[in-house]
Formats: sequence, structure tokens, C-alpha cells
Amino acid sequence: MSGFTNLNSSAGYSQNSTPNGGAAPPYQNGPVQTYPAMYPPAGYYGAPPQQQGYSTIPGHAAPAPNKAPVTNNAHSANYYHNNHQQQQNHLPQHRVAPSPYSAPLSSAPPSQPYAALPSAAPPPTNAHYNQQPFQPHPPYATPGSYYGQQSYHPSSARQHPSLVPVTASGPGAPLYPIVSYPSAPGSSQYGTLSSSQSTSAPVGMPTQMVGAPLHQYSAAPPPSTTAVQPGYGVGPPGQTAPTVVNGQGSAAQNAVHQHYTQSHQASLSYDSYSGVPPGSGGADTDQPPSGTPSTSVHSSPGHHQGGDTSSSTTGSASPVPNSYDSLEGGSYPDSMPPSNDMTNQAAPYGSYGYPSMQSAYQQGPASHTDASPSHDLYGQSGYQQYSQPFPNLSQLSAALGGLSGVPELEVEALRPVNLLQERNLLPPRPLEAPEPNVSSDLKKVNCSPQTFRCTLTSIPQTQALLNKARLPLGLLLHPFRDLQQLPVITSNTIVRCRSCRTYINPFVTFLDQRRWKCNLCYRVNDVPDEFMYNPVTRSYGEPHKRPEVQNATVEFIASSDYMLRPPQPAVYLFLLDVSHNAVEAGYLKYFCESLLENLTKLPGDVRTRVGFLTFDSTIHFYNLQEGLSQPQMLVVSDIDDVFIPSHDSLMVNLKESKELVKDLLTSLPEMFSQTRETHSALGPALQAAYKLMSPTGGRITVFQTQLPTLGVGALQAREDPNQRSSAKGVQHLGPATDFYKKLALDCSGQQIGVDLFLLSSQYADLASLACMSKYSAGSVFYYPSFHYIHNPAQLEKFQKDLERYLTRKIGFEAVMRIRCTKGLSIHTFHGNFFVRSTDLLSLANVNPDSAFAVQMSVEDSLADSSLACFQAALLYTSSRGKRRIRVHTLCLPVVNQLSDVYAGADVQAITCLLANMAIDRSVSSSLSDARDALVNAVVDLVSAYKSNVSNLQQSGLVVPASMRLFPLYILALLKQKALRTGTSTRLDERVFAMCEFKTQPLQQLMRLVHPDLYRLDNMSDQGALHLNDTVVPQPHLLHLSAERLSRDGAFLMDCSNVFYLWIGKCCNEMFIRDVLGCPNYASIPPNMVSDSKRCIYVSPSMSGNDRE
Amino acid sequence: MILLTMVARVADGLPLAASIQEDEQSGRDLQQYQSQAKQLCRKLNAQSPDRCTLETGDMNFHYLIAQGVCYLSLCEASFPKKMAFAYLEDLHNEFYDQYGRRVPTVTRPYSFIEFDTYIQKMKKSYVDSRARRNLGSINTELQDVQRIMVANIEEVLQRGEAISALDTKASNLSSLSKKYRSDAKYLNTRSTYAKVAAVAVFFITLIIYVRFWWL
Repeated sequence: MSGFTNLNSSAGYSQNSTPNGGAAPPYQNGPVQTYPAMYPPAGYYGAPPQQQGYSTIPGHAAPAPNKAPVTNNAHSANYYHNNHQQQQNHLPQHRVAPSPYSAPLSSAPPSQPYAALPSAAPPPTNAHYNQQPFQPHPPYATPGSYYGQQSYHPSSARQHPSLVPVTASGPGAPLYPIVSYPSAPGSSQYGTLSSSQSTSAPVGMPTQMVGAPLHQYSAAPPPSTTAVQPGYGVGPPGQTAPTVVNGQGSAAQNAVHQHYTQSHQASLSYDSYSGVPPGSGGADTDQPPSGTPSTSVHSSPGHHQGGDTSSSTTGSASPVPNSYDSLEGGSYPDSMPPSNDMTNQAAPYGSYGYPSMQSAYQQGPASHTDASPSHDLYGQSGYQQYSQPFPNLSQLSAALGGLSGVPELEVEALRPVNLLQERNLLPPRPLEAPEPNVSSDLKKVNCSPQTFRCTLTSIPQTQALLNKARLPLGLLLHPFRDLQQLPVITSNTIVRCRSCRTYINPFVTFLDQRRWKCNLCYRVNDVPDEFMYNPVTRSYGEPHKRPEVQNATVEFIASSDYMLRPPQPAVYLFLLDVSHNAVEAGYLKYFCESLLENLTKLPGDVRTRVGFLTFDSTIHFYNLQEGLSQPQMLVVSDIDDVFIPSHDSLMVNLKESKELVKDLLTSLPEMFSQTRETHSALGPALQAAYKLMSPTGGRITVFQTQLPTLGVGALQAREDPNQRSSAKGVQHLGPATDFYKKLALDCSGQQIGVDLFLLSSQYADLASLACMSKYSAGSVFYYPSFHYIHNPAQLEKFQKDLERYLTRKIGFEAVMRIRCTKGLSIHTFHGNFFVRSTDLLSLANVNPDSAFAVQMSVEDSLADSSLACFQAALLYTSSRGKRRIRVHTLCLPVVNQLSDVYAGADVQAITCLLANMAIDRSVSSSLSDARDALVNAVVDLVSAYKSNVSNLQQSGLVVPASMRLFPLYILALLKQKALRTGTSTRLDERVFAMCEFKTQPLQQLMRLVHPDLYRLDNMSDQGALHLNDTVVPQPHLLHLSAERLSRDGAFLMDCSNVFYLWIGKCCNEMFIRDVLGCPNYASIPPNMVSDSKRCIYVSPSMSGNDRE
Repeated sequence: MILLTMVARVADGLPLAASIQEDEQSGRDLQQYQSQAKQLCRKLNAQSPDRCTLETGDMNFHYLIAQGVCYLSLCEASFPKKMAFAYLEDLHNEFYDQYGRRVPTVTRPYSFIEFDTYIQKMKKSYVDSRARRNLGSINTELQDVQRIMVANIEEVLQRGEAISALDTKASNLSSLSKKYRSDAKYLNTRSTYAKVAAVAVFFITLIIYVRFWWL
């Protein structure tokens, strides 16, 4: 195994702790540096699948490949087994692996005593509390109340250690073997270490590290601490956890300091994660074996800057002094200087006499038998219940989890599927996100999977379990999605946890009327007076009925504490390429038309400002000052030292200068029709735009049609057309110059977002140009071979995109922070943004079409809670000048069984996350690496599943049903433009596809990766949806295979941004006539573009296929 | 040069409108002034003087309170005071016309941010030296600027703190005296007990002595 050759973990750490964050150039943290950092984990676990190199991957798929590895004790997949066997006096392996069907049950045992009890006869302790007079009160389920309780008194958990499923190492082991694995992760880690040394059979060579699983690389610039976790190769949990904890703590404090030196002198430590919870390290978390790693990282000066590494953002922190990071973290309202108590001081919490209401709301619904005991018990206002002898909290939670779930579903998700035998894997309808296995109350309020999705809907309790599952843990977010209905809350005090600044959400616990417990850090907070009043029902004393606690997605109107400056107006600057090339392509006319049409629909209010800048080899400004009779053009030809010719008349109020703007848009296409200027000074034009926008911030929209050739930021053609189809590595995926990145970071600091429309027929080095959008949270659009006559399809797409682009919602000066339950930590971010201070994403602009992904690791055992929560908070200024906070909260169960982890795996989310990781990998390392890593991800899963969960000794490729589409999706991924080799792919198109992968939301991405294919000509009303008066037939999904196509059919393929309609030669003529309006097959025009929201191609080559 | 303008409700310091700084040499860090302005708005109350100039470094805050609304501007020290107050007066007239009645009801910060457009325009006309001459002649008799109080921003901002410090000290003192009182009581009782005990011991000894030795 390759991993064992690199056991020098100390070397790895010393590398990590070097301050490599801040000023590192983009990809400095490439393979060479990160790999050593990865070695320590790899040593335990990391590189298993590639032990024989990827050339032998097929061999893995062969029946029972992991039998051999077991013997040499070096295989990662079997690592825990080996280890365990050693400790357990070599239990036979088959005893260790339970059958998948028994697995769900095994989580239930602790619950059985309670599960079996009918609600009429609760256990004695419950009975005591159930007979409270409050019971008749309207039952109200406090979501997650039991959950919060459990961890509140960890001491009680410690009193009954034997009841905790996880710690049941003694008697529990024989019965539920898997349960006992996590019970001693630390020891097992070291056990393996020694064993690996003794088994001197390092088959692998260090060079094979290239094939290591994707998860490990994750482009981990943030010094090591984070890099270590992503992979399956995590070191001893205790060792990594404090490292990052310290790192985060220092970063957070640093940020706070930065802020308060500038504005308020409030004190706070808003990062709750900096504190290791007392007692949270249950029986199964080892203390860090040595304190050195944590201290070294902690002291490394660059560490907090290293945080901004993430996938797409490396590099120096923005030079502009900013304190936006503290904004979303917010300042404590009452930590302002003592005398300013006017608006935001938390009022003294007087006592309100609602004794009879004290606990009513804590009671679960009567029908909810399993939950009610805990609710009742903890619903009491007093504290005495904590001292009651009561079944262990974890046990209770297990009972809840075991009962509230839908066991049949789980069993179905775990059904082993032999991919070599089953052919029809696709479900009849597009795949839905798996439902998290939480109680129905929580399910009802949980965040929509379209907004917030986790790769594993059952969070593994420990990193060891996660490693064993060999699936990546991460979140996919679409935070600014267009929503149909969104509760907007205006209140003076936004209720947040005082230690971790979590916003109050449906999953917190109300201990009594006056206090609530945070579900992320478990701190008990006071309920402010204002929160007692419910504006919706106009009633008092029901904090649990507030909309914040009833909805997982809410929006707050922020108070002035969340503003560093008055909310900015909507400001739009259009930067237009008017060189000869651009005029040839002819986009200008269509842009002007589109903007003219949508001028009134631009999001904004009376303050909205617009400006225009055109450039070829010079830069042209347009004075649109109100009162002028016609627009004035000002030409600046000094592109080496750009200056702004006039200060207050270039960005003008749209309302006041509307006529002038219209004038300009009408005359602009004509103005340059005769130009002979072929050069393009994009760099200087961007600098001018930056200067123009920096006082206010806003959005710059760049239209570019060729390679920039003049001034700063000039680029050379780097692509060798002969290498387009080479199967070897693809060069030049990274930027050629850091000019665009630096500019983007400057822009981000001034709250300017840059969006790029590239309409180039030739190579324009998108890899470099895209940086201007990547780091300023912009978006990239690319129209290869755009021409207004020769390529009507692209023109159509351009127009549609532009319309959507101009009219879609926009948020300015935004920041986003993602918080998660204590014990989990986020280490890598994917998407377009700049990471400020470890976990704060700075988004100069936020738009509803962009999505984000993050990777996480389990740092601390989650044994003391049964639920894990994630909260994404997006603070932004709306186009109408309102500061708002959009908060999404997702709640997922924590499981300690490998089978449960597989049952909850979300194959689509996993595919998307892996795609993101692969993109990073192909840029930082090489394309072939990324491809190998993807393949390895599948191989890992299959072997891990086979050795750990499936007890069927059948041969073939066996995967759990929940993951049955995984190999298919990965294969599809490998055929994408971004990742394919061997087929001729233009570099720009490849880079653009990569950008898409990083920013598209999951639904789009999945259709891009694996399009939906339907047969259209024989649709029936069977199973059709009835929406209002219309019947929407629901055709079955078809496999993407030629055998599904037939000559007499018509098929529709939905690839997210394009529809393909395939008409067979013998297709029903009536269908052709009715649908396409052509009398027969022969008269269908060869290249037909339909005017719909998305383009429909009838590809001549495809229909031509049929003629063969 | 007017750098910053802010309109706030006096009752609770809620910002109503503001003009974002539009300064070509934005190297100047206005962030600090921005937060000072916010604090200032919170400090002001109905008892504060109607017009006041606060010095902070080489800048001056001028403010005007009228009809429960505070108009605050940050100007360079060299900017004529008369102009500054004429500017604020202008803002007040327009603002009161447009939003005056809605001021007490709003809860959201920067509810009237749209007023920014007007502020920008006014600012431009006051900063522009040519236009200034005309305005200046109109507004000569507008007010007697000499009477306007001048204070230092630090004093204003820290006045509240001094009072609250006094308050804490006083409450400390009172709690200490309470403690002293209870301690004294405790001591008293203890000494009483001691006395009683001594007497009791004496008598018991006496009784024992009488019981066993005398008889």
C-alpha cells in the first residue's frame, strides 16, 4: 500500500504549519505541497484503492478482490476489520459484517424498551411527568426538543455509559459488531500503525499517490489542518480536531479584532467552535495524542489567511480594510457602549406570569408516542428532572430515531444491487432527494432539498465511520434561489445564540418559556421579550409559534447593526467590447435591444444607477448627465495609466437620465459599425470600471469577444489545436496571469461583482478571464462561435440568457456564513466567491442562479446528539436598498451504523460534490489525476460496501440501492466536456464546463451530467399530473442508450440548458404534423430552432443517424 | 467638502437616510467616521442642543435637530460652518416635506434611503464653488452661526460613559454598604451568642459545682 511508505506524519505536519496561506499565488498549494500533508492520513487509510495502480482497477471490480488485501493487512478498506480482528482475537470476518437487513434493526435495540410501550402506559418516570395538568393544552411539538436536551447534561450520559450504543464495546460487540468499531478509534488507529510496520509488504510506491482518492486532495491550501480531514485518510480524530479548533479560534478572534478596531468596541467570541465542549468527547473520542500539531498550527501567523484558500480562492486577503466579516457574525446588541440602549439593547428579561403555559408547548403531539416521553419529561419548567434516574439520553434518541424513521424505505435503500445483473436502474421519474430519516415533525419543517442538500442524509457519528463509508461528506447549497413563498420577518432583535451566533430556527429546543437552547453549540440562551409576542397570531407567550421557529427558510430585515455603511443603491456598469471582432460577431445590437426592452425591469429603486463603457484599443466613457441633449462620448487613449475623465456624470441615475440612456442604446450599434480597430484593451477598461465603481460597489458586466491584446492583462494564445483530442494531460487549465484575479479581489473588497459574457469564435483564454468572475462572485457565460447570422442557436441562447440575467434578482454587498453542529467542520468551499476569515464567504453580488458546495469532516464524535444541523446565513442588500438576512437550516440524523450511512446516501449530491472536487483536482494537479480519482471513488465505494455491509457472498458489482446510479453518473461525468479526454475539446469550452460545474445548482448539473430522456410520441395519461385544469403526462425516464431509441418514435432529451428532439424516420406523421407543424418527416427543416425558453434543436446529424 | 450625510430619528437613533460617501480619493478611511456618526445619533436626545458642531480631528460634525429628526453631516474643518448649516437646513425642509409624517412610524433602518438622491444633488450644489456663491448670498441672514455651540466629539460620546461609570460606582457603593450592614448584623449576633454562651457555661459550672462538691 502506498500509504505506508509515508508514515512520517511529523514531516507532514511541519509542512502544514508553515504559513502558506496569505500571499500564496493561486495554485502554489498544488500537488507537491499538499501531498505530503496528506500522507499521515493516507498512511492509515488513504490510498488504498490504488494500491495496484489504476491500471488494475478492473481487477478491483472482479469478485471479492478484497480477500487478498485482508491478509496483508495493508488495505485501507479492510483496515478497520483487521484492526478489529486483532483486538478481538481474530474474529472471522463474516461475523463482523452484519447483513444489511439486520443493520437498521441494530440501531433500534436501545429503543426497544420504549418503542414497545404504548402511549397509555409510559414508563414510570414518564408517567410521573405525564400527569401534569398541562397535558390538555394544545399539543405542540417542539422540533428537536429531545435532541437539545440530550446534550445539555452530558453528565447524565456519563452516568449510564453502557446504554450509549456507541460505547457498548463490551456486551454489545458480539451482537452488533459494527457498533463497537467506533468505540475505540484512537486505539485502532495506532494499532494499525504498528501492525502496518510489522507487515512489511508495501506493495505500493509513493509515486502512486497520484491515484489516491479524490477526497484527500481537495486542494487543501488552508494549512493542512483542513487538508487532512477531507479524505478518508483522516488521522486520529483527537489529533485533527483540536488543530482546526484552534485555527478557527484564532482566525475568528483575529477577525473580530479587525472589526472592532474600526467600529464598535463590542466584545465577543462569536465562533463557538473555538471551544472544545466539556464532556462532549464521549467515551469514544481519544484525547489528542500529542499537542504539538495543534499548537504549531495555532501559532502559524498565516493560518487565518490560509482559510481563504478553499477551492477556487487562494491568495492574499483583500487589501481593503473590511469588517464585513464581523457583520454577519454581528455584534452583540448589548455589547455596545453601555449608554446607548435605545434600540438594540436586549431588554431586561422580566418574568411573565404564565404559569399554566409553562410547559404546554413542550409536549409532543399525543399521537407521537415515541417522542412524547422526552418532550414531557423535559417540558417541565423546573430543573429537577435532570437528576431523575432516567434512561440515558442517547438511548432515547436512538429510540426516537429508530421509530420515527421509515424502516421499509431504509431497507429498500440498502437492498444490494448487482450492477452486472440488473439493467434497469433508472427510476421511472427523475430521482428525488432522499428524505432524511428524522421524525415527521422535523421532516415537515426541514429545509427544501433544492436549497440545501447534504451528500449523506444520515451523518456518520465519527470520522472513522465516515472513512469506512468512503463517501464524501459535504453540502450543496443554492442559497439565493428564487422562492415562491418566503416568510420575511421584521423585528428589532434578531434572536441568535450568544456564543455561536446561530439564528433561531425550528430545530432549537425551548427549555421553558424564557430560555432556548442552541442546536449547534448547545448553549442555553434567553428568549428576548419581543420574541414572546407572535405577530402572526397576535398572541403573547408563544415563542414556539413564531415564524422563525416554524420555517427552516426565513428572511430577516436586518437592523443597522448589520450595516457598515448605508445600503448601497443598485449600480450597473456595462463594459462593451466594440473592436472589429465584436462588430463582426454582431452582439452589440442584440445587447442594446435587450437592455432597452428590460430597462424598466432592471432590479432597483429610484436610486438605481447605470453606466456604459466601451473599449477597443482605447476606452470610451459616456457622459449621460441629466440635462444634456445627447450622450457625450469621452475617449481616453492612455491605457497605461487609466484615469476617469469626469467624476459625477458617468454613473448616472437611471430614472433621471433614462432618455439619454435610451438614446445611447439606440445609437451605440451604429457608432462602431465601421470600426477597423482589432485590438482589445480589456485590462485597462476593467481598471477604469473598477475606479468608476469603487465608491459604491455594484455589478460590472463585461462583454468580450476576443483575446485581450493591449495593456495590462494582455494574454497570448496558449492552446495548441493539435492537442485538443490528446489523451494525455491537458495544459493551461489555470490562469496565465494573476492580473484578473487581483482585480477581482480588489473588486470584491469594494463590493463589486464582475460578470463575464464571452462571445468568442476563437480561443480567448477563458481560464484567465474567468478569474475576474470567480473571485468576485460573478457569473460566466460563454457562447462559442457566436455569430448573429451564422449561429442562430447561440444568438437565441444569448438573448434568453441576457433577458434572464438583466431581470433576475440581485443581492449586493453580501456575505454568507455556514455554521454546523459542534463536531462537524467545513474545510473546503466550491463556487464563485472570496473566502474571508476561514468561514465567511464574501459575495460582492449574489444571484439566484449560482450555487455553492462545501466539504466537511467530522472532527469530534457526534455521539452526544442524535441530530446534526447546518445553517447557512446570507446577509445581503436587496436591489431596493434593504439589508436582509436569508437563513436556511437543515437538520439531519446522526447514525452510528455503516448501513444507515449508505441508506441515507444521496447519489446526486455525491456526484456533484465529486465533480467539484475533480475540477479542483484537474486544475491543481492534472486531468488524468482527476479522472482516476473519480474512478477510484466508485471502486472505493464498491469495495467498502462489499467488505463492510453486504454479507452476501455473491460475485459481481454489488452496491446499495441508494447508490446504484453512482457508477453510471461517474461514467457520465467522465464524458463531460470538462473531464473528457480523447475527444476533441476546445480549451475554452472545457474551462467553461468547469466553471459551470462549480456554480450550477444541483438539478441543472445533474441534467447536464446525465440528461433526462423521454419518449414523446406515445405519451399516455397514465399517472399524469393534474395541475389545475391541465393534464401533464408523466413519461418514463429512459436509459441513455441507443437500444432505447427506435425508428418509429420521437424522443426528447433534456440537458439542462438545451433540449434535443430526436425524430425517428418512421415516426408517426400525425405526431410530426401536430407537434412540429410539418407535413411529414422529409419536410422537417434540417436545423430547426424553436422559440421556447430553452432552445430545441432538431439536430440533422441525429435524425440523419436514423437514415443509416 | 461634505463627506458624509446622515438623517436619523432622535428618539432612538434609527438611521432614516444617508448618503454614501462619494469621494474620488476614497483612500481616506471614512469607516471610522461612519461609526462615530452612528454612535452620535444614538447619543443625541431631546435635551441635546438643536445645533451643534463637534470637532473630531481635522473634520467637523455639524448637526441640526428639528421635529424629532437629526440631520448630521461630516465636513472638512475648512468648510464654512454657515454653508454646512444652510445645507442641513435645506435637507430638513425637503425631508420634512416628503417624509415628515411617516418618521415616527418606521422601524426599518434606512427606510427613506431614497432621499439619498436629493442629498446627492444638494451636496453637489453646495460643494460646487460657483453655485455656492449664489447660495451664500441668500443665506447670510439665515442664522447667526456664532451662537452655535462647539464641542468635541469625544466629550459627547464619552459623556454617557462617565455617567454610567458614576452609576456603576454608586451601585457598587450601595451594594457594599448593604454587605457591611449584614456583616455587622452577623457580628452582633455572634457576639451576643458568645456572651450568652459564656454566661450559660458559667452557670452550668456553678450548678455542677454546687451539685457535686457543695452537697
